[in-house]
Amino acid sequence: MIARMVKVEIIGPNEQLLDTLALLRDLGVFQIEPDITCFVTADEEEKIRSLNLDEKTVAERIFFEDLKARIDELTACLPQVEVRESYLDPGSVLDSVAATLQQHGVTCREWCRKREALQKELAELSGNAVFLGALEPLLNRMDPKSGLEFIGVTIKDPAALEELMRMLTRLMQGKFELLTVKAEDGTLIGLITLEKGLAEKVRRTLGDQHVPELSFPAALADLPFPEKIRTLRARIAEVNSEIAAIDRDLTQFALRWGAIYQGVRRWLAERLALHTNMAYLHQTGMCFFIHGWTPAAEVARLRDGLDKRFGGAVIVEEKQILEQDLDLVPVTLRNPAYFRPFELFARLLPLPRYASLDPTPFIAICFPLFFGMILGDAGYGLILLVLALVLAQVYKKRNMVRDAAKILFISACYTIVFGIFYGEFFGELGARLLGMEGAFIVERRLAIIPMLYFALSVGMAHVTLGLMLGFVTALKRKTGREALYKLVSIFVMGCLVVLCLSMTDILPRLLTRPMTLALIILIPLLFFAGGVLAPLELLKTIGNVVSYARIMAIGLASVLLARVANRFAGMTGNIVVGVLLAVVFHTVNIVLGVFSPTIHALRLHYVEFYSKFVVPGGRKFEPMHKEYPVTNHPESGGEMPRR
Amino acid sequence: MEKVFIALAAALAVGLSAIATAWAQSKIGAAGAGTLAEKPELSGTIIIMVAIPETMVILGFVVAVSILNM
Repeated sequence: MIARMVKVEIIGPNEQLLDTLALLRDLGVFQIEPDITCFVTADEEEKIRSLNLDEKTVAERIFFEDLKARIDELTACLPQVEVRESYLDPGSVLDSVAATLQQHGVTCREWCRKREALQKELAELSGNAVFLGALEPLLNRMDPKSGLEFIGVTIKDPAALEELMRMLTRLMQGKFELLTVKAEDGTLIGLITLEKGLAEKVRRTLGDQHVPELSFPAALADLPFPEKIRTLRARIAEVNSEIAAIDRDLTQFALRWGAIYQGVRRWLAERLALHTNMAYLHQTGMCFFIHGWTPAAEVARLRDGLDKRFGGAVIVEEKQILEQDLDLVPVTLRNPAYFRPFELFARLLPLPRYASLDPTPFIAICFPLFFGMILGDAGYGLILLVLALVLAQVYKKRNMVRDAAKILFISACYTIVFGIFYGEFFGELGARLLGMEGAFIVERRLAIIPMLYFALSVGMAHVTLGLMLGFVTALKRKTGREALYKLVSIFVMGCLVVLCLSMTDILPRLLTRPMTLALIILIPLLFFAGGVLAPLELLKTIGNVVSYARIMAIGLASVLLARVANRFAGMTGNIVVGVLLAVVFHTVNIVLGVFSPTIHALRLHYVEFYSKFVVPGGRKFEPMHKEYPVTNHPESGGEMPRR
Repeated sequence: MEKVFIALAAALAVGLSAIATAWAQSKIGAAGAGTLAEKPELSGTIIIMVAIPETMVILGFVVAVSILNM
């Protein structure tokens, strides 16, 4: 359900403002309201003004922001390492940290700059090493003292190789040798061996033909090929060791100072958040006003906390929530433990408004019911039950998965119950092997029409419940006409159902005339309450009821798939293959059996049910809270740093 | 012959509505996937959007069952 909220005004002396904000943040039950129109009257508005920050506070804020930016800059240079918790009180070491940060910033920036340059060089050298590594086996075959010249080229594709061969033959009348090899990255590398005098001419022609020659850093340019490879490898090793040394220094630095800087950064972030909130506050010459919202159940804790901290100097005043404030009131859901996991579904859509109803309890009751009605197989239910228990055990700390596991557990229980009603255990296997025939209430596969009537009856009941809740919501929101429309819709739907049943002789024919008369009276009333589009809305509501036929349709598909799985397994004639096939088919059916009923049961709620009473557009209750968890070090307790 | 027409009518009722649903869902699904990439918080709305056209095939199925039981 939607928790009852209280409109609260907190008043205290100006000098206690930051401490009050810090305490409100620590309590985590108060949301500041920036719009004060619903808190102060026109007379009062003249006497109060937006909070003016004094020179000291502004200077402090600038100092905090600058310090935080410099810590962020320093942290960006450091590697991610696990650091211990700092036990220093950040508020008391700000000046020392600011001074040290200057020096550390310079050192770390220099390390980072050097590391970056080395990495750039390493990338360049590694690129060359790939090509030279590929050429090395070719060079080993050559005599370095032969007085020949070597030119390395990269060749894009085999067609380019043929073209290159033709060009070299034309230039040197066959007085050359071209050897090719594939580099590690797949590029084709060629080594042209030729007489020294011809090298320059060949290089020019290669340039004209856009055949890229291997290029090397300036330091290697004048060295012979074998020497190039040795020098390159030595430099790569050197650069790697220099980078490793810088990394060691940075890691040591992070381990030594990271904890302190992180602690101070957290403190600064929290403090700056308080400064940001100050923009929404108001004051007179003597005192401040903080306007906002808190859950009714937390008012006593809020009052006690402030009394204990300020000895009555800061007071909490509860104000009446007026009709025009209703759309401003933030919404938080508080449900009993059984319903709470189902808030997951409610959170998928915008929150309901404060003066409407929380659909969570209804979805908590009806969702597992629909899920069970659709899947309805005791065997599948047992597997889902085990799966839910495993999920809940494995993901104990992940709230969302734990909630999903709880929903699956409840839904699996309903699936087992309906499985027993339908006499299904892995399809008709239960009937054949476990003798579940005695448990049959209805065999879904054959009872299509009764199941259709059952599904439509469920739909009628669910939609009518939605309309009733819509009537209650309209009364709560004091929209009388809408309440009348919902009420008339309920009666019209009821009359239509009785009329249909009496015309098909399920109910006595005698009822036809009174129901027709009732409809003739109710329809003008429907026009009056719902406007000219009321009949269209009524048709939509009838469509909503028919939509529940999916409970039967999807269920029928599920039972037929299970039957197919068993039939296929039986047709193989081999017990091992048969069992394997059955496992595969049933696994597919279980996966479908989880997704399909979930989506359809959700859809029935979101589209058919919610549209009757949920008023979306509620503001989420977002109280001030600590951004980081409380650590073991003595918290500054809202004291300003001694600067 | 009458039985053939009844079966054909039922098949058309469910088949055509299934094609219509599939076509609508393909369009909505593609747009929904794009929306989710940018705004994951709209997942609830997208589920509804994708599931809305399914009513067509359900209604088609109900009509088909009614035809077969006439």
